[in-house]
Amino acid sequence: MFRSILPRSPQAGLRTAASQVVSSNAVFTPSVALLRRLRRGYASSSDEHDVVIIGGGVAGYVAAIKAGQEGLKARLSLTTTACIEKRGALGGTCLNVGCIPSKSLLNNTHLYHQILHDTKKRGIDVGIVKLNLEQMMKAKQTSVDGLTKGIEFLFKKNSVDYVKGMGSFVNEHEVKVDLLDGGEKTLRGKNIIIATGSEATPFLGLNIDEERIVTSTGALSLKEVPKKMVVIGGGIIGLEMASVWSRLGADVTVVEFLNQIGGPGMDAEVAKQAQKILQKQGIQFLLGTKVTNGSDSGSTVSVNVEAAKGGKEQTLDADVVLVAIGRRPYTAGLGLENIGLEIDERGRLVIDQEYRTKASHIRVIGDCTFGPMLAHKAEEEAVAAIEYIKKGFGHVNYGAIPSVMYTHPEVAWVGQNEAEIKASGVKYRVGNFPFSANSRAKTNLETEGFVKLISDAETDRILGVHIIGPGAGEMIAEATLAIEYGASSEDVARTCHAHPTLAEAFKEAAMATYSKAIHF
Amino acid sequence: MRVTTVLREAARTPLIKFIGKRTIPAILPATVDHTPTAHPASPSQTLPDSFAAYRSKAQQHGPLNNPSRLSSLSHGVIGRTPGSALGPIKPNKGEFFDRVELPVRFHRMPWTQAEIDAVETGGASLVP
Repeated sequence: MFRSILPRSPQAGLRTAASQVVSSNAVFTPSVALLRRLRRGYASSSDEHDVVIIGGGVAGYVAAIKAGQEGLKARLSLTTTACIEKRGALGGTCLNVGCIPSKSLLNNTHLYHQILHDTKKRGIDVGIVKLNLEQMMKAKQTSVDGLTKGIEFLFKKNSVDYVKGMGSFVNEHEVKVDLLDGGEKTLRGKNIIIATGSEATPFLGLNIDEERIVTSTGALSLKEVPKKMVVIGGGIIGLEMASVWSRLGADVTVVEFLNQIGGPGMDAEVAKQAQKILQKQGIQFLLGTKVTNGSDSGSTVSVNVEAAKGGKEQTLDADVVLVAIGRRPYTAGLGLENIGLEIDERGRLVIDQEYRTKASHIRVIGDCTFGPMLAHKAEEEAVAAIEYIKKGFGHVNYGAIPSVMYTHPEVAWVGQNEAEIKASGVKYRVGNFPFSANSRAKTNLETEGFVKLISDAETDRILGVHIIGPGAGEMIAEATLAIEYGASSEDVARTCHAHPTLAEAFKEAAMATYSKAIHF
Repeated sequence: MRVTTVLREAARTPLIKFIGKRTIPAILPATVDHTPTAHPASPSQTLPDSFAAYRSKAQQHGPLNNPSRLSSLSHGVIGRTPGSALGPIKPNKGEFFDRVELPVRFHRMPWTQAEIDAVETGGASLVP
């Protein structure tokens, strides 16, 4: 009699919460209603989700779709994969304020810059060229909106329950969601995946307002082109944003603590060439320089810098300062203290080889755990984590994850760089091929850069590929495949490549590694 | 063409080999060890002690709480095999679970005073 008004077990209460989730997508046929009523009597709730994913970024949404594809989805119209996202839009940093909007701006500013400075020699006379920044930002937003809505469609297609809100652990099996529309609900998961991503690391002493002192998020939405811009950090994000605003007319200075741009992983030879080319495009560099403090009290932001090893202080004034010193895992508000999961000294959640935390049903993927903070790495982990849950095996090769910097020319690499191989003591061979000797690059009048291939001297197995040049970001896919398959440089060199293509430079670099290039 | 290929392969063995369609699921139980080890990208290449401690504290219930099975799950290797490999959790015919053997979340909740009052008053105590 009182069963309906006084739940007798915690399960009963949770079933009610879970059924709210289901209701948004459920098909209300009599058979489903009957099924639910029958289920109410069992001790173990069958309404709980097979997988609850916290975070709808690249890691989270890919895991959700894969879970749906693997059958962790509709059983008699009851959704069993849920994805919680607090932004109100899927895709996370990558789609909303990262990879995608930056590529839109990089592409369109490159076009603008090329029309302004690189048409006469191609036989194209252009009239007055004007920047319409507002329209450029709209074009960026159109790309973002189209892609995020596309993911929502894929969620529906794969019966994934999309819960808009902020999720936090109540205990090891329950996640409370503060809904964006108000109210809250609790989801119970047999498996829970944490995919909360990362955020820009702030710079101590500079207050980020996303207007004058900005992270990459603010740098993607400036309302006007700054006259002067200082970029703190010469990594990939810093250099891409420096390129965007420099092309639009800003006077950009990049301050980097290390003596090399590009961040970790970029080969020194490539980094040197990239710096030379970017300098030629108008970007100024202060390498081996640290920012000591800054002030935004005046009409411009002033930043004090000095040599990293100590030296004379210098003040840089700028209309906009971009803080791009790296990213850190984002786990605030997740309620980790309620379940006692470990984080390391850099804020990363500690996991084992199958992405499991100490509680084996809670897995962590993407930026908030080990490995490079790259969207494609997160995607691979998402697929692998679901396969571990469903099939017991998964595959991510951390030795074959490519990195790309989308400046012009692009820089891309996969595997180890020369310094790393030298330090490991392995005997190696290097093959270089310049784009100035590549026919397609010649016809495109884009001959800056080269392909550098490093292979094991004994086995000829490819250890690393480093490319700076046109289309490097696309070409690195072939190199990644070669490394994934354990190919030798001769394997690549003996593979026929179409003529005339930029990819021939990759083949020729492979020829140069095991023997000699034909065209250089 | 065929002759050329034969001649070329006599001089050189490509590192890339076609290994056929992957059949990992078929050989999974025998080849994949699920014992927690450090993540390949972990800088320290170690797991905190809490991983082993948590697992050793974890207990199997019902039919999985079988001495012959547990002998193969010595300390530190819990997690080596997936739960599904441990066999069905259904009791044998004539066997029944005792609720107290199950995890706490399946136990009956103690009656609260409000509930006792509700029963004794025929629900009248619930009326504000």
